Amino acid sequence: MRLTVLGGYLGSGKTTWLRHQLHAGEFVGAHVIVNEAAETPVDDALLQGSSMLSVLAGGCACCAGKADLVSLLRKICDERSKENPTGPRVEQIVLETSGLADPAPIVEAIRSDPVLVHHIVVSKILVTVDALHALSQLRSEPLGRRQIEIADCMMITKLDEAQASDLGKLLATLRVLNPGAEMFGSIKGGVSPLPSFDGAEPEHLAELSADIDLPPIFPSKLVINETIDWTAFSVWLSALLHARGEDVLRVKGVVRTPAGRLLVQTVRKVVQSPEILPEQTDGLSREDNTIVVIGRGYRAEELVRSLDYFASTAGN
Amino acid sequence: MCSACGFPAAPGHWTEAGAANSSDRLRMRFRRAEVLRNVLSTYGLKAYDGGLVPGIQISNQFGNQVIASDLAEVWVIAHKWTGRVVDPLDARFVGAPEKAD
Repeated sequence: MRLTVLGGYLGSGKTTWLRHQLHAGEFVGAHVIVNEAAETPVDDALLQGSSMLSVLAGGCACCAGKADLVSLLRKICDERSKENPTGPRVEQIVLETSGLADPAPIVEAIRSDPVLVHHIVVSKILVTVDALHALSQLRSEPLGRRQIEIADCMMITKLDEAQASDLGKLLATLRVLNPGAEMFGSIKGGVSPLPSFDGAEPEHLAELSADIDLPPIFPSKLVINETIDWTAFSVWLSALLHARGEDVLRVKGVVRTPAGRLLVQTVRKVVQSPEILPEQTDGLSREDNTIVVIGRGYRAEELVRSLDYFASTAGN
Repeated sequence: MCSACGFPAAPGHWTEAGAANSSDRLRMRFRRAEVLRNVLSTYGLKAYDGGLVPGIQISNQFGNQVIASDLAEVWVIAHKWTGRVVDPLDARFVGAPEKAD
């Protein structure tokens, strides 16, 4: 079985790309595995186009969730072996990693597992690169660099939103970091040609010392209970991103509003236009009104208290 | 463009996405002003939205008054006038800091 690893930084467009590919009929018969660092999965709601979908939530597959990933992959291999080899069966696996994952240990785990090594070939490591934020991530985040360095193929997303000069610089920098990888561009999940970057100067990236200065990035779960309305939440989130946009790396979740179930997603200071999701009909009790905040430099309970403060004026 | 204030009605700041119809939108504007009043008062600022004129009116005790077209602009104005960033994780909003484990 071929395994495609889909990696990339928080909010760089992994799910958007995969969703588009599934919609366009790619990865037919593929088993899709979605890994999320937070305990509350959100992405699986977007990937209903796939016939087989597994969610590994509550641990990043390159570290805390590695054992779960290996056992899930073993199970898939086991089931496939029991099926009729001439009939339809799982031919490939797509693993969407969490944005905090370094793809290298995942590949290493598969290659060093005595069972998986006979069943699974890692065919490609595809890494999404956010045209808007990647340069600043590369400057400060060792993780962002590791993801680029290991890629076989780099997909530059959000091309339509980036400035031409910044884009040229980013592309030249990526070429220096990973000269061998194939590069292509993408807008909203569809493939789009990259502009030429001949003559663009790559940015000289300073050596990063080990993560001493930066506190660890961690996911926290925020429940939007009935005392918190959408307006108070949106005022709060907008202020939070204004003040802490460099630390609050990613926010995502589904909030119930008068207009319906609203999917809220942010990447640093950029908020994507909220998308109205269909009502759940599949009988799965997905957790609405739960928001995952991934960031650093604060404590989870501070988020809760602060949000409560913002919502506390009700009825005044 | 609003003929009274000359503000172009830029459609759709993301925070307006939760409204299903115009009465929801109006209710949300009032509610937004209420939340903002509560938050900005701790910085000595006032927020007002009467629902008629687009935008949120921000004023301070020195008589300055300006209309912010959306929330993002409110935070920029508050920063400019007070010299401080309105930070939801500031001690005034999260209560007395507890000792870290």
